[in-house]
Amino acid sequence: MQISIKERVESVINNLDQLPSIPEVVGKVINMVNDPNVDFRLIAQEISKDQAITTNLLKLCNSAYFSKGKEITSLDRAIVTLGIKEVKDAVMVVATKAVLNRAILGYDLQRGMLWEHNLAVAVLAKQIALEKKDRTIADIAFTGGIIHDVGKTVLALFVQSAFKEILAKVETEGISFQQAERSILGYDHQEVGERILSKWKFPQILKDIVRYHHQPEQAPEEHRKIVSYVHVANSICLMGGIGIGSDGLYHELSEVAIKLIGITDEELNRFYAEIPEIVQKLKGLNF
Amino acid sequence: MDSIINVGVAKIEVATKPAVLRTILGSCVGICIYDRMKKVGGLAHILLPNWVKDGVKEKYADTAIPLLINQLLKMGCTREFMSAKIAGGASMFRFGGNLTLGQIGERNIEVARKVLAEKNIPIVAEDVGGNCGRVLDFFLEDGRMKIKAAGHEKIYYKV
Repeated sequence: MQISIKERVESVINNLDQLPSIPEVVGKVINMVNDPNVDFRLIAQEISKDQAITTNLLKLCNSAYFSKGKEITSLDRAIVTLGIKEVKDAVMVVATKAVLNRAILGYDLQRGMLWEHNLAVAVLAKQIALEKKDRTIADIAFTGGIIHDVGKTVLALFVQSAFKEILAKVETEGISFQQAERSILGYDHQEVGERILSKWKFPQILKDIVRYHHQPEQAPEEHRKIVSYVHVANSICLMGGIGIGSDGLYHELSEVAIKLIGITDEELNRFYAEIPEIVQKLKGLNF
Repeated sequence: MDSIINVGVAKIEVATKPAVLRTILGSCVGICIYDRMKKVGGLAHILLPNWVKDGVKEKYADTAIPLLINQLLKMGCTREFMSAKIAGGASMFRFGGNLTLGQIGERNIEVARKVLAEKNIPIVAEDVGGNCGRVLDFFLEDGRMKIKAAGHEKIYYKV
């Protein structure tokens, strides 16, 4: 008996070994930063257990994007100079590159394109949150931006084999690419991404960003705004061609998100016009 | 092996055969101009239709196209042998409210056509609009333009 594609997707996402891994320290750091009473020294201690992460993290903290001018030579200095939230974002960049910086065949993304896209969405989502005076969660918009499409890394092979069907469904039924994914494969890249984040033991707010970045209106109310920042940043980057793949612009820009974050037409146009400058900024995120 | 030159957003590149100029387009428009005698061509990747004060000229259709033409003239190209192909200008599937952001693709196409007409450079092929992202390859050995969109490839040979 032939196993259907839905069953195959299901068996992959229910098998933790088949989902991508990242160093254990990342989940721990993210959850520690969430705790307002945490001792910074404990976080530094935790990071320092992973030598590879520590080395790359120090390089990244001295890169043009994160650097505050003074050279950073230790984790303690990094936390004091940049702040714990920035260091957490830098840990995310360092730890997820291996998972995200590869060719994603079914979505027609050459090596490097998904990585560039995720970084661009991270930088832009944070920038929008800051301009909207949402300082306390701007770092989470960044973290969420980096991983919002992580589900594509797993779903890609299935999208490749069912691509014609998915696109036909988009065109005949007038639904978005991600809705067609779900209808044909049983899951979309958002749900697969949420599973991956569960494996990584990430907090609910990040799971919600990954799970609802195409439909912020369906996100739980307490996280709807942060999801909306990532949603809008994602839409703008795709329009600018940053990480646009076989799913093209078969997406919706959510009116609910626009209203919730109070972004005007003029502001949207300005962020779109700044894409070349954002791409330039990404070059300063090297390690 | 052809040498592929990647052209970033809001950039202009000019090269000669056998180079291939590549760019990836969403709502942006790629304007390829080719001199069929000299086998030299250039690609401008524009983000927006009209220049605004203090803007980088490569970003806008109305300022980038004249820059591209000038760079080609400097390489010894002749206007009468030049022809253009344009691609891109997609828009998002469904757009919230009456936002003008959703019309950028169309306006980019419109202004690119208008400026090329003013400069008397004929457009010999177009692959524009819709909701697809496009990978554009512009082959300078013969001026053909290959478009990959939604898993399909199309090649435009006319120069």
